[in-house]
Amino acid sequence: MKKSVLDYALKIRLPITIFVIIVAYTLTYFISRPERDGLGYAPEQPISYSHKLHAGELNIDCQYCHIGVERGRHAIIPSTEICMNCHTLANKDSLSIKILTKYYNDGEQIPWKRVHKIPDYAYFNHSSHVNKGIKCESCHGNIASMEKVAQVHSFTMANCLNCHRNAKERLPYLKDVKNGPDHCNACHR
Amino acid sequence: MDIMNNSEKKNGLEPMKSRNELHKQDAVPEAIQAEFGEAVTAGFKLENMSGLSRRKFMALMGASSAFAAASCTEYRDNGELMPYNKKPESITPGTANHYASTYTGNGHGWGILIKTREGRPVKIDGNPLHPINKGKIDSAAHASILNLYDPSRIKNPKRMAVSDMKLNSGQYQPASWDDADTEIIASLGNAAKSRKEIAIVIPAVASPSQKRLFDEFAEAYPTARFYTLSTFADKARQKAWEKCYGRGSFPVINWEKANIILSLNSDFLGNEGNTPEQIAKFASRRDADKPDEFNRLYVAEGAMSLTGSNADYRLRITPEAQLDLVFTLLNELCTKGQCSIACPLQLQQQIKKYTINGFAANYKVSAETLGYLLDDLMANKGKAIVYAGDCLPESVHIAVNILNAALGNDKIYDPKITNTTHSLNREGRIDELPAKMNSGKVSVLILLDSNPAYMLPDDYRWDEAAKKVPMRIAMLETENESSDGFEYILPIHHNFESWGDSHARSNVYGLMQPVIQPLYDSRQKEAALLTWTAAGKEAYTYDIYHKYVMDYWRKKIYPALNLAVDFNTFWYSALHDGFAMSNQSSHSMPVINISAAIGLKSISNQNFTVVLQPSHSLGDGTYANNGWLQELPHPITKVTWDNYAAIAPQTAAELGVEMNDLVEVSIGGRGVTLPVVVQPGMAEKLVAVELGYGRTDAGEIGNNVGVDASVLMTKQGGIADYIFTGASVKKAEGTYKLASTQEHHNLTDDMTKDFQYIRDIIREASVGEYKKNPKMFEHLKHEFESITADIEYPGIKWAMAIDLNKCIGCTQCTTTCNVENNIPVVGKDQVAEGREMHWMRIDRYYGGTPEEPIVRHQPMNCQHCDNAPCENVCPVVATNHSPDGLNQMIYNRCVGTRYCANNCPYKVRRFNFFDFRDHVADSYYKGDSMDLLHNPEVTIRARGVMEKCTFCVQRLSEAKSNATRDGVEFKGEKVTTACEDACPANAITFGNMNDKQSDIAQMREHNLGYYILDILNVKPNVTYLSRLKNTKSEDDITEKTKLDDTKLDDTKLKNTKSNDIKSENTKLNNIKPEGT
Repeated sequence: MKKSVLDYALKIRLPITIFVIIVAYTLTYFISRPERDGLGYAPEQPISYSHKLHAGELNIDCQYCHIGVERGRHAIIPSTEICMNCHTLANKDSLSIKILTKYYNDGEQIPWKRVHKIPDYAYFNHSSHVNKGIKCESCHGNIASMEKVAQVHSFTMANCLNCHRNAKERLPYLKDVKNGPDHCNACHR
Repeated sequence: MDIMNNSEKKNGLEPMKSRNELHKQDAVPEAIQAEFGEAVTAGFKLENMSGLSRRKFMALMGASSAFAAASCTEYRDNGELMPYNKKPESITPGTANHYASTYTGNGHGWGILIKTREGRPVKIDGNPLHPINKGKIDSAAHASILNLYDPSRIKNPKRMAVSDMKLNSGQYQPASWDDADTEIIASLGNAAKSRKEIAIVIPAVASPSQKRLFDEFAEAYPTARFYTLSTFADKARQKAWEKCYGRGSFPVINWEKANIILSLNSDFLGNEGNTPEQIAKFASRRDADKPDEFNRLYVAEGAMSLTGSNADYRLRITPEAQLDLVFTLLNELCTKGQCSIACPLQLQQQIKKYTINGFAANYKVSAETLGYLLDDLMANKGKAIVYAGDCLPESVHIAVNILNAALGNDKIYDPKITNTTHSLNREGRIDELPAKMNSGKVSVLILLDSNPAYMLPDDYRWDEAAKKVPMRIAMLETENESSDGFEYILPIHHNFESWGDSHARSNVYGLMQPVIQPLYDSRQKEAALLTWTAAGKEAYTYDIYHKYVMDYWRKKIYPALNLAVDFNTFWYSALHDGFAMSNQSSHSMPVINISAAIGLKSISNQNFTVVLQPSHSLGDGTYANNGWLQELPHPITKVTWDNYAAIAPQTAAELGVEMNDLVEVSIGGRGVTLPVVVQPGMAEKLVAVELGYGRTDAGEIGNNVGVDASVLMTKQGGIADYIFTGASVKKAEGTYKLASTQEHHNLTDDMTKDFQYIRDIIREASVGEYKKNPKMFEHLKHEFESITADIEYPGIKWAMAIDLNKCIGCTQCTTTCNVENNIPVVGKDQVAEGREMHWMRIDRYYGGTPEEPIVRHQPMNCQHCDNAPCENVCPVVATNHSPDGLNQMIYNRCVGTRYCANNCPYKVRRFNFFDFRDHVADSYYKGDSMDLLHNPEVTIRARGVMEKCTFCVQRLSEAKSNATRDGVEFKGEKVTTACEDACPANAITFGNMNDKQSDIAQMREHNLGYYILDILNVKPNVTYLSRLKNTKSEDDITEKTKLDDTKLDDTKLKNTKSNDIKSENTKLNNIKPEGT
């Protein structure tokens, strides 16, 4: 039987095309995944604030600045006045602190770039997690070692559920930790 | 079917959902077929679509995505987080703050708690500590938050261009407050110097500081006169009290102490007086656990009111018959020697002709019911109350006062607490003002938050007269019919931006405090007046009136209380609580002047009577621009976005009109054309029309909604201010489509439609039967074998119970749910399509006959069924069950198949056919200011997703995380839903049913508890408590009906089989309940 052009198209060309598409898609999917999840996202901040210096070397407690983390939904980016608690004196002649002081004196808000973000339709609550003893670095990575804050873990639903369903494994430092809720209403409403 | 129809006629008790169903008109099955209107795609009209061809669209898409791809360098930009510069100590972003304040709308002085998030109010609830309203408020108060963010609020002061600048004359120019102050102070000064009047139109004063301010203003400008403009102000009652007791301020009624209540044309459960308080006190005597303490409500009324719909006995009489009724009762008392007061001979002679039999024959009411009423009143002397409606003429109020005194019912009054009135030093009568303006005696007219052009009857000729005043100043939140062409239009603060106080009751002083920075360049009206009073001696500051109120409290209120604490402590604690208690007065009930009733004559009327009522939701029209209130279904007719002429079925038949036909109502040459609502239970030859509609300058939402029926009003009024006799009504050409939520949400199948009559949707019995046999509904319980394993809920399981004894159908739950859950306004066209979005609705069922209907109200929200039928059919699992028993709805997973709504037997699911915020009145509800209104804890649903009641899951989550924060185990106690908080009757109970100590667990086990459609084995988590009617007769027919039910079921099945109708529902019904 003579092979027609149609045969060629159906038996060879089509499968190859489909194969190439699938491979390309799969590769792109996995290779681009960290970037899509925002891993390593570290935007330039209006003031080059160093968590490494403050939280690491000076060992200031996270909650000295992020005062909302135990109380409610948001950890809260500290108000400028909290910076000024120290920086009215500390290192006040450096350029960064001068910028900071100007913001403070002008009564303007500092437009910090947001690093970690979950979508609007997910209602994450910091207090529920922190009050259970979960450490900041479990989600945010070792912030105390970062000069410039970058996203370490992905903030996808899969990652949330990974912890909620395997709490013992993922949070070995917590004894008697129970799995978190994994029903929809726990985060979505 | 025939069998059932017969049985219906036989006992006349089965619920029908509307009159149309009763008469089985052809239009109904069609309406029932289409839950969401004619067709789901009806809104997508081809001609309205974009003219873009498909090819062009693809090309554009390609180009734009290429463009987007090329430009997305910063696609991972997460935006910015802006912290406070100096964080206010009390604010934690993400957590709510509550501030106590006072709601002064419609003349009330209710304590409210305003919930704010990051400095913006998002919700109002009653202040539970407040002695008047005890944590409950009405629909208008709940929805009033929308007025704060109303995009049509005036944003800056405006000055009409001076006429010599020819180019701009007749147009408004932005003005500054300073310039306005200078010019206005000069005009006021000139007016005072040249002895011309300064007329200031104000709403009724209930604030002592305001009274002092007005008096001081009148001192600074001696020619100033204040004119109080208040509609539905209960003037007849005040006058009657003055004549009977020598003082116009009447005491508070202890409704909870009344065993028998006779309401004469009074909608005290609907929109008359202090409704949250009255409903609470009334419903406290409708506790299913205390059947011996049930009160009995007799209602004699013409129009079908919410109160009338809750009556145990209802007498259908027109307003002009009310005086006869009162005299009949009084006469019968006297002849039986039961009169507790010494009736003068003259009065006895006067009322001699009124007898029960005569009255019954005259007005075609049941003499038997009248007999019951008289017996009850005599048996409960001092423990009953006869209450006349606000709208009734003075004569009826006087007669009622005498009747109450004759029965010793003045013991029900609490003379120590009176409703206070504040009279100003320089007050004028508003009916004299137009003449003064016409004669040029008035040189400055100030409208202080009032709208005389709309509120006053046309024969005041207000507009014409106002034009003659050279300097006119309107101080308003939104422009209105009266402010047109005024020299100055000045924006004033909303109450949430204002300081103030209130003294509506003698025993309590309320405080109002601002909870948000002024949104616009507005000033508080009092602050502006204060600046003008000072006339340049004291410049305006933001807190000028704050200091003034504080000063008044320091000098007047604080010393009178003789407190042990210093002023600052007192002030801040009052501010914290929102009120301060004042010393109780030692008043006792004065002796009644019986002779006031001498000479009162009954009214005869052969023609139609017209009753003008305040709109149930809009009141006198002040709230016309509030979409939530416009869309709130009327509790009886369920009509939204319109007013109408309600007439009795018999009268409608005589006139040859049906629902949606137009009629022309005219009184003495003044006429108005209105659509008809055929209202069962109306008195014949009576037309009831709501006022508050037909605004022409209210804003985008309120303009031209309904018809302004105030053209029927006159200065003199009819037999009372709002009741007119001698009207004529005739059919007019054409029809008008009213948008009603009434016939939506019926079960779609023609067969199931009939099944619902006997399917226990509303279960009812009399108190007598219940007392005899508390377990009388036991035999109706169903136990099913399930083919799937039951799911265990070991931890918390949420459930709700709704007590139909307490629920009076007031719709407060609907409004508060709208606010809490960001429920959009959809507009009249969409309501007409059946697309209203209310998560909580109140179903109204009629039973009985069209003439004497029995009305039942039933709140209906998502039942959160254990075996939820919606969950099985969702192809994307966007709705499923949570481990704490909630039926979850996940918006970002929903693809909008609407299978769930189709499969829901309760029809409580709502679909976003549009982005409704974008849809109403040119994206009215998507303005910048409106974004501030939304509850940040609840997702704004997008177009194309399904939504429904969540049991306020945001509140549950908050309570849970708070428990985690506080390190306590969360057992689900002290969690409330928004509807539960708002229900003035406390009919709603919510909680964790696994906590056996909780109220909800006990309600689930209650003898009267039942589930709607439990025969479907969906296992709902909302329990309803059967309704008990406190009727007199022992052999109530309901019992018989219920016993007949099981028999009927069998016969019905046979019947359907013989009819050869096969459907899923028939199969369902073949599952015979055990024990039948």
